[in-house]
Amino acid sequence: MIASKPILLAEDNPRDAELALAAMEEHHLADKVILCHDGAEVLDYLYCRGQFKTRLQGNPAVVLLDLKMPKVDGLEVLRTIKNDAALKPIPVVMLTSSREERDLVESYALGANAYVVKPVEFHQFLKAVKELGVFWGMINEPPPEGASRATGRST
Amino acid sequence: MGMDESNRQQPVNAGAESPLPLSPWGERLLARVSFLGPLVHTFQKRSIEHRVLAGFGLVFAGILVISAISYRNMTVLIRNGHQDQRSHEFIQVLAATGVAIDDAENGHRRFLVTGDESYLAAYHTLQERAPEYVGYLRELTAPHSLQRARVNELEQSITQQLREERAAIDLRHETGFESVRTMALAGVAKTALDSARRLQAQMEQDETKALAQRVIESTTTTRSSIILLITGALLLFVLLAAVYYLIRRDITARRRIADELHRRGELLEAANKELEAFSYSVSHDLRAPLRHIDGYASLLRKASSTSLDDKAKRYLQTISESATRMGQLIDDLLVFSRMGRQEMLRGTVNLNQLIASVLHDLRHDLQDRAISWTIAQLPEVTGDAAMLRQVFMNLLANAIKFTGTRPQAIIEIGSWGSSQEELVLFVRDNGVGFDMRYANKLFGVFQRLHRADEFEGTGIGLANVRRIIHRHGGKTWAEGALGEGATFYVSLPMARSLA
Repeated sequence: MIASKPILLAEDNPRDAELALAAMEEHHLADKVILCHDGAEVLDYLYCRGQFKTRLQGNPAVVLLDLKMPKVDGLEVLRTIKNDAALKPIPVVMLTSSREERDLVESYALGANAYVVKPVEFHQFLKAVKELGVFWGMINEPPPEGASRATGRST
Repeated sequence: MGMDESNRQQPVNAGAESPLPLSPWGERLLARVSFLGPLVHTFQKRSIEHRVLAGFGLVFAGILVISAISYRNMTVLIRNGHQDQRSHEFIQVLAATGVAIDDAENGHRRFLVTGDESYLAAYHTLQERAPEYVGYLRELTAPHSLQRARVNELEQSITQQLREERAAIDLRHETGFESVRTMALAGVAKTALDSARRLQAQMEQDETKALAQRVIESTTTTRSSIILLITGALLLFVLLAAVYYLIRRDITARRRIADELHRRGELLEAANKELEAFSYSVSHDLRAPLRHIDGYASLLRKASSTSLDDKAKRYLQTISESATRMGQLIDDLLVFSRMGRQEMLRGTVNLNQLIASVLHDLRHDLQDRAISWTIAQLPEVTGDAAMLRQVFMNLLANAIKFTGTRPQAIIEIGSWGSSQEELVLFVRDNGVGFDMRYANKLFGVFQRLHRADEFEGTGIGLANVRRIIHRHGGKTWAEGALGEGATFYVSLPMARSLA
């Protein structure tokens, strides 16, 4: 079933992560969220390696990606995902504090599916994250698994 | 003048506009030639173009003078050469005439003695050739000159000689040797011959003297020409060197200024990059803690909604509001900073359309408001449409905001006193106005003339207006009085592309 697909949240700041999870909780989406603390972890998850070696196969419903992260930053992760035929269909939403034009331009140029600026006001932040979770985790129809499995791995 | 001069000499353009100072030795030299003082002063006040032009003018004048004098000298030399030739010919012809006279006399005397007709050949030759010789000599002398008069005299003498000799020849033919014996021995036409010989000698002497004189003249002229040419060439060389020095100095100064500008441009670019990095980090890092403050305050309010009393709830509310406000301030500051850095996209802007679209965006603020609008027909201007939109957005939002306390608001948009050079646009309202004493604070960043609980806002709007208008090359100012409304003016330079 579609709803069983996880939402991958890449957020290095534990407070932001907690607030995001609190927002997801409102719509009972929190248990679907897999939290990564930096870009390297996101890639580990996607390629089923490191701490995610034993995870269940399959791509997440969406990757919510922060721009500024330690080790591997958001744009680097985005580039890796969009350059890999197997990962390319995964929707990637940039979720960041930056409203800088060049970040927007670069993200879309690399193939980001959406770009959301985190609002300072918590109510709006709540709303934004909730809507993201609902849309990408429930409303949006993710790409069929087979289409993305170019490497032959299957669930 | 000294003050102005030193004020104008900023490091960048020092030496470009100001007169170039002479080198110390040059100044000392000029100081001695006191009468040149005012002249040099006037010269130094001129611009580099004038000075170079003056230098080249002097060079050309020098070339002209040298050419004129050289031409004159050349003419003298050619004329002298010509005259020398004539003098030589004159002397030759004179000698030939002398020989012919002598030959004729000798032959004539031999005939008188011998009666042999063949001795009369020279006599006949002289008789035939005399007019030719005289004519030639006359031709070689200047009219009305002493030599010409002498030639005439010589002609008379020869005629006299020939006549007297003729008489003797005739006598010999008729009466034989004895009657001409004395004549043959002593010679006939003695006076005429003496006169002819004396004249010939005088003429030759004078001509030789004139020849020698001309040689001296020619030598002097040649020498003076050479001296003139050398001096002239040296002077021209000095002048050209001075002009070269002037141009070179100017070029060096300009190059230095260009280098300096380039260096400053690079510094500015570096500073801009740094600023960009700074504002990027502000935009990204400063907002996160604010989000957390508001977020956790909200979570706290929610988690303990039952155990908190109203006071504690209000405190939490204030924390959230403060965080939100700071977020707003940061966003405004970023917009302001971006306004200064963002590249301008110049184009033709239709202000009427622009204002209509701004009013459309502000329609929510216009609900439940009684505003009477007077919007004049505005001309098209050249500028960045998005930025100018921001200007009118701010000005109109302000006008709407500060007339909020009026039962009937009046807002007027128009253009005013537009000259060829600039267009002045204004937004006038009948709102709360301001005290003119604080007029200079209106356009400052985060400067507000009203308390936050009177009118909301961060105080960045008019700062943005000023920054945008300045970037367009225009000015901003305002007029108003407390409680009597305000008028905000922006001026825009008319399209320079035509110039």
